[in-house]
Amino acid sequence: MVSHTSAGKGATAGSQQDQGVLTRLAHRVLMSERFVLYLSVILFLAVLPFIPRIATGGNFSNLLSNLWPLLVIAVGQTYVMILAGIDLSQIAVIAVTSVLGAAVMTLGVDPVLFENTVLWGTVMDESGGILSGHWWSMPAALGVMIAVGALIGAFTGAIIAKFEVPAFMMTLVGLLFFSAFAVWLTRSENITNLPESYSAIADRGTFGILSWSAAIAVAVTVAAHVLLSRTVFGRWVYATGMNKKAAVISGVPVRRVVVLCFMISGICAAIGSILYSARLDMGRPAFGDNLNLLLDVIGATVIGGTSLFGGRGEILWTVYGVILFVLLSNALNLLNLSFFTVLIVKGCVILVAAWLDVKRRELLAR
Amino acid sequence: MSSTKLGLAGAAFAIAAVGFGAPAHAQTICFAYQTLETEFWVAGHAAMTQSLSEQGIDVIEVNANEDANRQLEQIRDCITQEVDGIIIIPQDGESVITMIGEANEAEIPVAIFNRPPNPDNPHDAIVVVADNVAITEAAVEHLTDQARALNLDRPVQPLIMVGALADTNAIGRREGFFNVVNRNRDLYAEPIEVPTEWDAAVALANLESALQANPDVDVIFTSSDFLFPQIRAALLQRGMWAPAGEPNHVILGGLDGDVTACQLIREGYVDATGVQDLFFEADATVGRLLEAIANGETRPNEIIRDEGFALTRANLEERHQDMWGCVLLDEQG
Repeated sequence: MVSHTSAGKGATAGSQQDQGVLTRLAHRVLMSERFVLYLSVILFLAVLPFIPRIATGGNFSNLLSNLWPLLVIAVGQTYVMILAGIDLSQIAVIAVTSVLGAAVMTLGVDPVLFENTVLWGTVMDESGGILSGHWWSMPAALGVMIAVGALIGAFTGAIIAKFEVPAFMMTLVGLLFFSAFAVWLTRSENITNLPESYSAIADRGTFGILSWSAAIAVAVTVAAHVLLSRTVFGRWVYATGMNKKAAVISGVPVRRVVVLCFMISGICAAIGSILYSARLDMGRPAFGDNLNLLLDVIGATVIGGTSLFGGRGEILWTVYGVILFVLLSNALNLLNLSFFTVLIVKGCVILVAAWLDVKRRELLAR
Repeated sequence: MSSTKLGLAGAAFAIAAVGFGAPAHAQTICFAYQTLETEFWVAGHAAMTQSLSEQGIDVIEVNANEDANRQLEQIRDCITQEVDGIIIIPQDGESVITMIGEANEAEIPVAIFNRPPNPDNPHDAIVVVADNVAITEAAVEHLTDQARALNLDRPVQPLIMVGALADTNAIGRREGFFNVVNRNRDLYAEPIEVPTEWDAAVALANLESALQANPDVDVIFTSSDFLFPQIRAALLQRGMWAPAGEPNHVILGGLDGDVTACQLIREGYVDATGVQDLFFEADATVGRLLEAIANGETRPNEIIRDEGFALTRANLEERHQDMWGCVLLDEQG
């Protein structure tokens, strides 16, 4: 009887111990910085029996080709989100920089389509863009794109910092204004006939890894990671996002930090524009209408774990979020689900990510 | 299990799975379209899928929702699935060139439906396209006859709603319109061009502005029938929406041959529309692509033209059964 009772107590204790282990494991996984990466591996393994082609070399190449531009843009969005902001104007930056970059380096355009545009006769004409015809045309055009992205980002950030306009409102204005500006520049015409050296950026290379796109995206990501995690500026960004007033009192140059973060977001959008425009081999003003892309950028950043409330986030988390998002899109496509189903599933995933974000904050607060 | 081990296990599982993929289905076609937002594209989608299903073909459908980059990703996903053929309704004639190139490289025959690649396309594809210039000319000739019959003591003021000029269809339709206007310079004033970008909201805003600035418009030609509701809204606002025979009737024409156009021709509001033979285009696309697959052609290169015709109030009785919009309208009862 006694031993029975002891055995019962032992079994209960064992069960409680198991539950404790499971709870601790779940807690550790949930709180782990690699949580989203684990989700990606689980997703990959879960869909593998149904769509074995997801593991082919060709598909890895597709995945990476889709990943690089999204990653670069999401890295910029991460800086702004850590500030407790959001940058809706990124797709407008993509549109403007795509058009201007293509305009200065095009090897020639059809006068019928462009002679009534504001760029005609100044930035480009029948014989090509103002920078075309030189060995340095392409890198100079990339410089123009990045400079324009930085300018737009700095302008947006300056308005937000100086007049304390909510980031959502100001970047919505930026989205509308600069999207329309991109369309106005060419009257909605795509600019084609770009140098081969530019198109080569989009070459997928071996399995999508040994490519210019990969090199650019990895370089931007590493630089952004170092800047955020290893420098004083990075600590200022977190401090501003956690508590702006406290940051001001602590001597953080908050306004400068806000302007610089939006500038980084603009630069990243411009680099994303370089990669997307090279893929289609054109400057495309309609990028500004691409709200699907905006959904992907914000979704991937939030899924990665960067908090919508600011003060928390890492570039590595964004990398994991982008991997999950691109893998999810790819898997849904390969499952041959309808476009609407794909969007519904993506929306649900973002909702779950936001819910997890709230839960993690609760756990952290305990 | 440590995070490193878990990651390695996942990677090992994934690598082991490579090569165990199921073989490709014998006859699978990837159908990549850019939107289903207008009657023409909805009817085109229905005609195409029906034509494919009648032939027992498995179809992978992908909708890019007017995003050229997404369409490129979808085409690449289709190529990964080793489909037997690809049918694309592209966002525009420029972005599709890259997609055709990818299909050529993968040695998968590709057909482009209704929206052809631009003339500088260096790759190979089956292109099924309406003769936009000829069809537009036929419709606008009828509008010109109606305009001449007005016997105005001033030049007739024409207006064209222009599509997105990155689209070869829009360029062809504009060209057809101006060909007729230029042949009738004694009749017409300088045409007003209203850009639409193939967007209903943009079209309505620009048309309202144009009518505000030019209230004496006598003839309106829309490069696509899907904009008739916007034209109706703009004209109603100004008291200019009236059927033929009434003094404030504006002579109206379009191109596509959709359900709305058929209805409006029957009611007398629209005078003529250029008709694309949607059913012929769908059958020709599917038929030629399947033929290429059967013959082992990986890079078929051919243009198939839909000659089309103009449906007017004069030939409505004899030809309405040839217009897909009227057929669908009659089916709807």
